Amino acid sequence: MSTIQDFSGYNPTWCPGCGDWGIGIAIKQAFVQLGFDPSGVAVVFGIGCSGNMNDFLNAYAIHSLHGRAIPNAIGIKLANHNLPVVAIVGDGDCYGEGGNHLIHACRGNHDITVIVHDNGVYGLTTGQVAPTASKGFKSKSTPSGIIEIPINPLSLAITSGATFVAQAFAGDANGTIALIKEGVNHKGFSLINILQPCVTFNKINTYQYYLQKTYKLPADFEKDNFKLAVEKSLEINEEKFPLGVIYQIKRPTFTDQLPQLEKETLVNKERFVDFDSLIKDFI
Amino acid sequence: MIDFTWKIGGEAGFGIMTTGLVFSKIASRLGYHIFDYIKYPSLIRGGHNSFETRVSDQVVRQLKYNVDLLICLNKETFDQNKKFLLVDSIVVYDSSDFVPEKGSYKTLDIPFKKILEEQKGQVVMKNTIALGATLAILGGEIDELEHIIEEQFGRKGEEVINFNKQFVRKGYDYVKKNYFQLIKPLLTKKTSETKLVLTGNDAFSLGSVVADCRFYCAYPMTPSSSVLTTLASWQKKNNMIVRHGEDEISVINTALGSSFAGVRSAVGTSGGGFALMVEAVSLAGVTETPIVIFLSQRPGPATGMPTWTEQSDLLFTVHAGHGEFPKIVLAPGDVEEMIELTAKAFNLADVYQLPVVVMSDMFLSEGHKSVSKKFVDDFIANYKVNRGKLLKEITNDKLQMTNQVQNSNVKSKNFLRYKITEDGISERLIPGIPGYYFQANSYEHLEDGHTTEEAKPRIDQVDKRNKKWQTYLEKDFSLPKVYGDLEKAETVLVSWGSVKGSIIEAQKTLENTAFIHFNHVYPLDKDKIRKLFSAKKRYILLENNSWGQMGKLLAMETGVEIEEKILKYDGRPIWTEEIIRKLT
Repeated sequence: MSTIQDFSGYNPTWCPGCGDWGIGIAIKQAFVQLGFDPSGVAVVFGIGCSGNMNDFLNAYAIHSLHGRAIPNAIGIKLANHNLPVVAIVGDGDCYGEGGNHLIHACRGNHDITVIVHDNGVYGLTTGQVAPTASKGFKSKSTPSGIIEIPINPLSLAITSGATFVAQAFAGDANGTIALIKEGVNHKGFSLINILQPCVTFNKINTYQYYLQKTYKLPADFEKDNFKLAVEKSLEINEEKFPLGVIYQIKRPTFTDQLPQLEKETLVNKERFVDFDSLIKDFI
Repeated sequence: MIDFTWKIGGEAGFGIMTTGLVFSKIASRLGYHIFDYIKYPSLIRGGHNSFETRVSDQVVRQLKYNVDLLICLNKETFDQNKKFLLVDSIVVYDSSDFVPEKGSYKTLDIPFKKILEEQKGQVVMKNTIALGATLAILGGEIDELEHIIEEQFGRKGEEVINFNKQFVRKGYDYVKKNYFQLIKPLLTKKTSETKLVLTGNDAFSLGSVVADCRFYCAYPMTPSSSVLTTLASWQKKNNMIVRHGEDEISVINTALGSSFAGVRSAVGTSGGGFALMVEAVSLAGVTETPIVIFLSQRPGPATGMPTWTEQSDLLFTVHAGHGEFPKIVLAPGDVEEMIELTAKAFNLADVYQLPVVVMSDMFLSEGHKSVSKKFVDDFIANYKVNRGKLLKEITNDKLQMTNQVQNSNVKSKNFLRYKITEDGISERLIPGIPGYYFQANSYEHLEDGHTTEEAKPRIDQVDKRNKKWQTYLEKDFSLPKVYGDLEKAETVLVSWGSVKGSIIEAQKTLENTAFIHFNHVYPLDKDKIRKLFSAKKRYILLENNSWGQMGKLLAMETGVEIEEKILKYDGRPIWTEEIIRKLT
């Protein structure tokens, strides 16, 4: 049985009070409760304050490029579909730079868990707007306020084909741990959008803000109802943030549908040697 | 000696390419060597396609200028090709469609349309009639063509097979009956070793399977796309996973993920797609993740001329990626080299833990050449998968590999993925091995993978990565191959990649030439290469681009400068006759 200590690498360098602390502990706690140890899970980190968790969390890991954690994670899953694969990314990382990958990962129902740190700003580059920032948000890159409306990650994922879409709040440790565990246990593509204050660069979406604007979905929420899920996800547009599993359905995963993987993982299968069966087509 | 060119042309979208390949295969099965190349516009319908096969009883490596048998399925074919006709050339046409202008060549009128109407055939079956007629004109038998029809339509049943076969017979009989005097015995069956008819893309596909590549990821882009479709069609047989990703950025990052997880992985694209991949090439460099990149060039910049040929991405490729990290670039000269170097590329990527680019171009990627089946069988039998310092398990004596500076209560150990070594290569562990973990870090890192910004470990890691090049040059680099006698030659031709065929063909006519052909194009061993250029001779650089990029690379890497150049950048390969003309 692993402990939190097994997963603990360097001491984090996040700002005091940053939501990343809560998320970092929740991820380790979820891994412990899932019975993982650092050699039994693959993690891909994006680039940003969230991605800096690479040095604080022990696991087989790639600290990837900005925006590219999802394709790396899909590649690991294709190579070894028995290994749980988690991508730890930021909102700019996953909804901006890597937005296309998110859409297509949803379509493919790749069995990976994407944990997004959603704080509305680019913390590591000192506070420019993220795609999730509210319309009019003033930042160094948008001194007159951002013209674009925010992206809605939940409705985007639901309508793109994700089979597990949840929202958590970094200030709610137990809720976050529970959702990460559910997401990792879910067979298929799971997105967990974690609302997270950036205490340094976002003076609007604070802990107080989220405590007021978030609410927990009731236990009997009908999470396999597509229309209801879309409806719920649209509440974000009115600054109401449901917490919990907003949408979850069963659909075969990408690797479930590859006959090549029926018997063995790709990495462990025997080498193919019947070259004559291919060569004969060229005669 | 038998050496002739058969060419068929017609409207795009009506089976010209399939027909051309069928002819090449028939010629190969009848015991001849072939070389073919297609010309087509970047559209599916409404343009003009042509397919040209040179047939010989000797090895052929390039097309020749003149056409001996021209099958015109439309007037445009004739108009475009009349300049290539000789006195003995034969033009096949249908007088109900058009009548070729009078000239010094022979003509053969076949009522394609009438036969189609009588037999209620579809337009594409004109090609079948043309193939039947071709075999009659060349004095061949129709058995092999009928076999191919049986192979193609086997699943559709006897009725469909017989329906198609009758068009072969109609074309064949029509020539035998009406044009007996034009028949020449050029394609009579002869005994010869079994040959394969392969494009460069086929050869890459085959090479990757031989090398135990298990994951291929690509986004379609001419002229690399047929690797994606060929490997995709083989998946059920060989259990490779082939993924058509959402864009080239995803493509290479997915492949890096699977490679990190221990699977031999490759991607394929052309220049524009490779441009999108470049950031991840740098990621492969710093994380030391093996990857094979198949890059089939076409004329640029930007969208350029998608279905034509050029070698203009050499300097881009050798320099691709921000920051400094080693990579290896190979450029096979023909399909045989494509098989060998593709399979070698996978070993190099694993042994040196870096990106290896295998460069092709439209000309090599989509032209067919005969290859001895024995050559391929022997290569496969002798090829050994070498995964380098990849560990599938850690035995006790490897425990010193792990970082000792950790809490003794912690059960898993941090594997030293980037341990400093003599040869610059560290041991690599397949993720999932119990008891260990490590991170492949895109940031500069310590031996254990953790991020660092300290000066010394930074220098150590840069030096370690750079050292891999030195190790490669000592152990696996191959000098350019010399064709002809370098000592005696007055003129030395210098080139790289797919220009090889044209130059070797030209050497058959030119006297006193030697040819230096680079296929291990980057990095280059300065001292060894300079020795090849020491004598006072006439050196001529030949490249399918406008800058003379291999010349620039040679100058930069070795100090060798070649003043005289033959450069071609009109989208067409350098023809043999052009080389001969320039040098005589």
